[in-house]
Amino acid sequence: MNHLKLAGRMDGSRTVIRVGELRIGQDLTIIAGPCSVESEEQTLTIARAVKRAGAGLLRGGAFKPRTSPYSFQGLGLEGLKILAKARTETGLPVITEVLDTRDVGWVSEYVDILQVGARNMQNFSLLKEIGKVGKPVMLKRGMFATYAEWLNCAEYILDAGNPDVILCERGIRTFEPWTRNTLDLSAVPAMKELSHLPVFVDPTHGTGRVELIQPMAMAAVAVGADGLMVEVHHDPEHAMSDGPQALLPEQFDSLMADVNRLKDALNGTIHENDVHAGKEIALEGSEKGRVREYAW
Amino acid sequence: MNLEGVRKQIDRIDLEVLALLNRRMELALTSRKFKNEVLDEEREKAVLQAAAAYANGQITPEFSRSLLSIVMAESRKLQEAGRPLLGFQGEHGANSEAAALRFQSGMASIPMESFAEVFDGVEAGVLDYGIVPVENSLGGMVSQVNKLMATRNVHVVGEVLLPVHHFLLALPETDYRDIRVVVSHPQALAQCRGFLTRHKLEGRPFYDTAGAAEMLFRERPGGTAVIAGESCAKLYHLEVIKEKVEDHPDNVTRFLVLSGNAAAKPGDKCSIVFSTAHKAGALFGILEAFAKEGINLTRIESVPMGSRPGNYVFFLDFLGNDRDNAVQKVLKDVREKTSRFRFLGCYKRGAVL
Repeated sequence: MNHLKLAGRMDGSRTVIRVGELRIGQDLTIIAGPCSVESEEQTLTIARAVKRAGAGLLRGGAFKPRTSPYSFQGLGLEGLKILAKARTETGLPVITEVLDTRDVGWVSEYVDILQVGARNMQNFSLLKEIGKVGKPVMLKRGMFATYAEWLNCAEYILDAGNPDVILCERGIRTFEPWTRNTLDLSAVPAMKELSHLPVFVDPTHGTGRVELIQPMAMAAVAVGADGLMVEVHHDPEHAMSDGPQALLPEQFDSLMADVNRLKDALNGTIHENDVHAGKEIALEGSEKGRVREYAW
Repeated sequence: MNLEGVRKQIDRIDLEVLALLNRRMELALTSRKFKNEVLDEEREKAVLQAAAAYANGQITPEFSRSLLSIVMAESRKLQEAGRPLLGFQGEHGANSEAAALRFQSGMASIPMESFAEVFDGVEAGVLDYGIVPVENSLGGMVSQVNKLMATRNVHVVGEVLLPVHHFLLALPETDYRDIRVVVSHPQALAQCRGFLTRHKLEGRPFYDTAGAAEMLFRERPGGTAVIAGESCAKLYHLEVIKEKVEDHPDNVTRFLVLSGNAAAKPGDKCSIVFSTAHKAGALFGILEAFAKEGINLTRIESVPMGSRPGNYVFFLDFLGNDRDNAVQKVLKDVREKTSRFRFLGCYKRGAVL
């Protein structure tokens, strides 16, 4: 980890990214939405539901990295337009994955945060291209990536000139087939120790099992994650991708209620805790230091 | 060659045929202004004869004749309906046309090649109305129009303030990733400079934004997009790649509506144009007259008249009705103090919607 000049900078300040009203890295931020943008109606229905439940950002894939070339590949440009519409209607900023270097500029015209998926974590030309864009980036951890490899990928984006990288743990591949991946929650405190970047957790891909999402979401918040990314679908049976692992809107409501209770409890009981107090002091420093705001 | 490909070509030809028929209807409406009556039997007979004579290939004389009979029946119907004709510079879908629709609905908007043609049509009475852009909040005055306004014998009867938004449009078969060239009016390209630079796109100037959209539809060059108004997407069967690609969201063009006659309804804003003698305080004296009566000026513009260097006319807009005593008093005063004076019109003030 000696070469992480930017990602590993530890001068006591943490990176806080402002997107609209959100302060990512400071306030717990919940990203929710469908795996894929399938239609305007589907996306707007889900966007309204997650907004009501209290999500801060809408997710939705317009370009899908599918295991099989015959699976639904996403709506592309049409999907971006639908996301923009959902953003206008609900007021939620949007995040979407970008797969192709040729799309980076176009996608950043439409969305607030770009996402690099797990499969593209080490797509270095994509990382360099994304580093040139003036929009925050969520970098998902590759399913076989070590912490050092992951942070080196963040370093690529930071080095190319984009200071606003969010890390996202989404599970790694182990010998356990019952879960889709093994959600490595150690990554959260570990990344907090090794880097100043915000760390999110994606319990949807991390477990691939609906019944595990809520408990793992709680666990992620408990270990100090800056946010969660959760897939929600109002009609999972007919979803064009990853339906079986999507929460129904009512399940997401219940997750949000639990997460909020946990957050309050943590704020109440651990507020005096040294770690937490230390974080707040550091944040004050970073507010004065490097906080970038994204108009949208 | 396959069925799908052939049908695509057929669809495109249908669109072109309809666009041409629309043009024919517009000309038919224009011709009405020169005729005493709608029906001209001699003319119709000649058209049908020519249609039969020129029929060739798969088009039989009978088909050609019956097709044109239907077309002419429709022309007559439109002529009888007698909607007012409004001329605008550019192709259908131009901002001027969008502004005209805001002024009054139910008019037949007729595209013209140049601003001069719009003024010609209004002066000659062939057009009931004309609409021209006088100034843009980012680009400033449209000098060509202002020069014509100073010299032509037309009345200003309305004002429209149109928020301008630019859309990036491409052919449905064009992958947005392949777009390298963007064609549009130089003004529109300049207003989207930041967007073009961000995406490393080459801007190519064209005489009109809607004209660029029409060219794209007709010539179908690869890797090319246009910047034009939203309505051009539907008119020219183009796909919106990105809406509102302008660098500054607040961009308003001010249009004036022209007519051969003064406005029938009372207005609340007036426009005048004048020249003054080259002597100290001449312009000041005129502005002073307005100040004394407490009349609010909304625009003052000097336009070089080209006849001689240093020769200017001044355009002045102010709030008020030309039948107000204060306004009449000032205008009388101004008339006496100027070497050249023309009252352009009193009209209802436009609002940005």
